[in-house]
Amino acid sequence: MFEEYDEYRNKIREFALKEFTEEMAAEYDRKEEYPDELRKKSLSLGIIDMQNPAKVMIAIEELCRVDAGLGIAVTTPYFGSEVIMLFGNDRQKEILQDVYKGKYILGLAVTEPSGGSDVAGLKTTAMKQGNKYILNGSKMFITNGAIADYLVVLARTSEDPNPHHGLSTFLVNTKSKGFNANKLVDKLGVRATNTAELQFNNIELNEDDLIGEEGKGFYYIMMFFNISRIYVAAQSLGIAIGALDRIKSYIKENDIKDEDSMFRLSDVGTHIEATRQMTYNAASYLFEFKPKPELTSMAKAYGSETAVYAAESAMEMLGDKSLYEDVQRIFRNAKIMEIWEGTSEIEKLVIARYILKGE
Amino acid sequence: MKEENNILKETVAEFCDKNLDEKKIESEGITHGITELLASQGFLGATIPGKYSGSELDNTSYEIILEEIAKNSPSVAMKIFILNSLYYPSVKGTSAETTLSDAASGKLNVAVDFINRANDIKENAGKLSGTLINVLGSDAEKIILFNENTSIISGPFGYSDRDFMGFRGIKFGDITLDNTATVLDSKNRKGEILEASYGPLSAIALGMISGALQKAIDYTSVRKAFGNYLKDFEPISFRLAQFRSTESVLRSALYGEADPYYVFNLAMESIVEIARYSVNAHGGYGYFQDFGVEKFYRDAIVMKSIFYGNQELRKLAEHVYSEKINFV
Repeated sequence: MFEEYDEYRNKIREFALKEFTEEMAAEYDRKEEYPDELRKKSLSLGIIDMQNPAKVMIAIEELCRVDAGLGIAVTTPYFGSEVIMLFGNDRQKEILQDVYKGKYILGLAVTEPSGGSDVAGLKTTAMKQGNKYILNGSKMFITNGAIADYLVVLARTSEDPNPHHGLSTFLVNTKSKGFNANKLVDKLGVRATNTAELQFNNIELNEDDLIGEEGKGFYYIMMFFNISRIYVAAQSLGIAIGALDRIKSYIKENDIKDEDSMFRLSDVGTHIEATRQMTYNAASYLFEFKPKPELTSMAKAYGSETAVYAAESAMEMLGDKSLYEDVQRIFRNAKIMEIWEGTSEIEKLVIARYILKGE
Repeated sequence: MKEENNILKETVAEFCDKNLDEKKIESEGITHGITELLASQGFLGATIPGKYSGSELDNTSYEIILEEIAKNSPSVAMKIFILNSLYYPSVKGTSAETTLSDAASGKLNVAVDFINRANDIKENAGKLSGTLINVLGSDAEKIILFNENTSIISGPFGYSDRDFMGFRGIKFGDITLDNTATVLDSKNRKGEILEASYGPLSAIALGMISGALQKAIDYTSVRKAFGNYLKDFEPISFRLAQFRSTESVLRSALYGEADPYYVFNLAMESIVEIARYSVNAHGGYGYFQDFGVEKFYRDAIVMKSIFYGNQELRKLAEHVYSEKINFV
């Protein structure tokens, strides 16, 4: 699947191996800083092509294979762009073009301190007053939160007995009066990415800041998750392959032949192949505009477990050697896969719902 | 468990609540003040003989101390373990035995090295030179080098911190030997020392399991999603309940009559899974140091990576078959 992108894949691999040096990956991991120069470089070299989701998926996989912290950092400045691409107005799409050109950084703000998985239970409001919406509330664990120029924000615009109704998405300029971002530090992994807690205090939004139709925000975000979860599956796949690369090198360099190691290697390889098939299969439906959310959730849930399994296997197989290799960074990076863009528990609920619906 | 053991357990727990600020320990390391407190309570020299100012406690008491402390601070428990289960048996019967007085009173810092090999060090007229990468322990005056032989190396050393993912309170670092260090003793007894450590290591693992799990149980008791407490969701509470069963069985086995090989195996096979799920149960908050649960996951995989590998599984299999096995 996706063999037509082999040349592109090789280009990304070459870029990652050249630019994501161990020194750089370790430095940004240690400092917990966003590698903005790397973002600009990746743009100038045409590493990211947001017009082509298959390319985005492949880039994410190959970049995360070398280092997930840097890989995710250079592929997230466009986070949330699909919501604008699909539902935004002309002005918003112009801003999006500037995001693609590297002038702006974008982010998506959905999760709140009181609840991550329960999207419809969010408390942020954007109530209409005259021809303005007044945004109030707070968001948590927002990727790019403290470095974004614009954020796609989900907020409640009306009360409705059905909690999925009455939610809307807005494009919020982070220079707006009443916006505050607090960078969160001391993450376990993906420390080159920026994560923040946000506060919105009476931010005035214009009607043309509304993305798409009022009251349809929940559905827009669920549609977005269908796409972003494929990308998380690709992150997971890249991390798992990266862990396997380290295991293979270790086995070869140390001439390890014991059967226990061979069985573990075989198990990790099998999990990775299953993840690859599931991810590319789900992506093939999505990229033809026929998304199958259950396949996407399966790929995301299984892929994230594979990333963690492969990373833990690398740690255990390399033993004390893993402690001063980049393997420990792979281990720390892998864990977030099971948490963001829907925890494994949420994915399992989605999968179960669709299986029953299929009956 | 005997009454005196329960009293010890409560005493250690109270000490931890009062004196061990784990977030501070993770960021600043185990301070001299904490070390002095551990020494004054007799925890630091738990098994060291009385003639060296140690507490000379039995195994059960020692393991209770390790378990209770590891619930709060795996780093502090590991420091105590290094002194009592690695340093003490390494220097026992050697000219370095007298240094145990300093060890028990907190005046001697000991580092452990499992990674470097004999050829990383050069010896010239009894003096050592070279660099030992990623040694567990900071500002040490003595290093236990576990390679072909178990060697005790005496400083002074050059030292530089490394960023490290596990046991941050102790810190890992690179140690430079600059023609000043000497070998005090060298014997091949790594195997026997580590085998005798199965009980204490299991106690630390049990404490970590207990600490991580309790955080997950506490969090899922108060955190709501979709209008319900997290504990109201079967997959979450069932899983945590199963882990508590494992913890309980492990504790009974450790302090009971169970074979240390099997206790150690159960501890090592459970610790990463339970720590990992305890992070999961916290959602996004679990990924941040502030909630104090991700450290158990980091420490768990480091512990498993250092102390439990192919060699330990081979020993276990040979223990089960009661004979030497010619593995293919």
